[in-house]
Amino acid sequence: MIDTTELIESLAAEAKPTRPLLNPFARAALWLAMAGAIVILLGIEHGVRTDISVQLGKPSFTLAIGASLVTGILAAIGCLVASLPDRSRSWLLLPLPSLAVWVSTISYGCLTDWVSFQSGSMQPGEAWSCLATLLLVSLPLSAMMFVMLRHAARLRPTLVTMTAGLAVAAITSMALSLFHPLDATMMILMLNLGTAAMIVAIEGAAGRTILVYIARLTGS
Amino acid sequence: MLTARERPTPLRASDPNEWSTLMVRAQSGDGAAYRRLLQGITPYLRAIASRAHRNPSDAEDTVQDILLTLHAVRQTYDGTRPFKPWLAGIAQHRVVDRLRAQGRIAAKEVVLEFEHETFAAPDANVDMGLDVHTMRAGLRGLPDGQRRAVTLLKMEEMSLKQASEVSGMSVASLKVSTHRGIKALRRLLGHQGDGT
Repeated sequence: MIDTTELIESLAAEAKPTRPLLNPFARAALWLAMAGAIVILLGIEHGVRTDISVQLGKPSFTLAIGASLVTGILAAIGCLVASLPDRSRSWLLLPLPSLAVWVSTISYGCLTDWVSFQSGSMQPGEAWSCLATLLLVSLPLSAMMFVMLRHAARLRPTLVTMTAGLAVAAITSMALSLFHPLDATMMILMLNLGTAAMIVAIEGAAGRTILVYIARLTGS
Repeated sequence: MLTARERPTPLRASDPNEWSTLMVRAQSGDGAAYRRLLQGITPYLRAIASRAHRNPSDAEDTVQDILLTLHAVRQTYDGTRPFKPWLAGIAQHRVVDRLRAQGRIAAKEVVLEFEHETFAAPDANVDMGLDVHTMRAGLRGLPDGQRRAVTLLKMEEMSLKQASEVSGMSVASLKVSTHRGIKALRRLLGHQGDGT
């Protein structure tokens, strides 16, 4: 290793102007605006599910949608704030209460609707359409979140990227519920919680590598 | 109380209240302000690092890690917030990282003493290739005649004549049995006996 004084000299020589990051809340708002735009565009292109008015009358549906939206918002805020060196890691706990409500609403709905389980209520074509929605929502949102979190690559980012994954998963799940008639209870459970768990796991596991790659790419 | 070595020079910003202003200027590309800041925070970082690491060279490596990280994430500093907690946050990450890395390395290392060195060298260990139990198990797998011949001639190191008297086998048959027995043993213990 070189001498610390020499290191300081070389760092000082590299002191190019750098734009300080926006406030984390403002960045969360930007990300959520993009999420909103994606969901609205998809809604225009795909159309919301045909029985949306009936579904919105059901408290379990509105509660689940609301809880996933709130989880998405809080997880986005939590990971962006906690990724900064001077903020507490406890910000990562911010989405936990709404996550608990979201998971318990879906699980409770599945239990009570069990008797009305209709096999084959999901057409084969619908599954592909669901997958398309999933990718169209989660990929750009993940990409934008990783770009926003690229500085966290140097600061033990696993929990931060997992929470970022939760934000993406919650918004994706909300879009799935709005656009696709997921009546079969197992489908709801699989597509909501399964997808959420998958996204969180992938972003948690690959997060550091992706962040390091993006940080290197953008030279920051 | 500062030691003579740490006594501030005019170029070094030793006052933490000044750090925030200097960092903001550094973010706008002021190299001189950045140098003053980095020189000013180094004693503070050394104090943090040497609390965690007893080895001075580990502590100095940690200080350099912290400086490099600070440089990489300098855009995350918000000029409206205090500088010291931001710096301490970065420092804590690097200190913990190095402690973890040391823990991982230490878990895989054994402290070498002279005895270890002697025992670890293959040449110093005559019985490294085969142990007694493996050898006995191998012998048990041989036919009676071969086992007896190998035991008497090779294990108990008798002469052919002595072995012939003890076993009642002829010298020629002892020779053949030993030859076959050794061959069979090599085959049985081949993977362990190679090179010994």
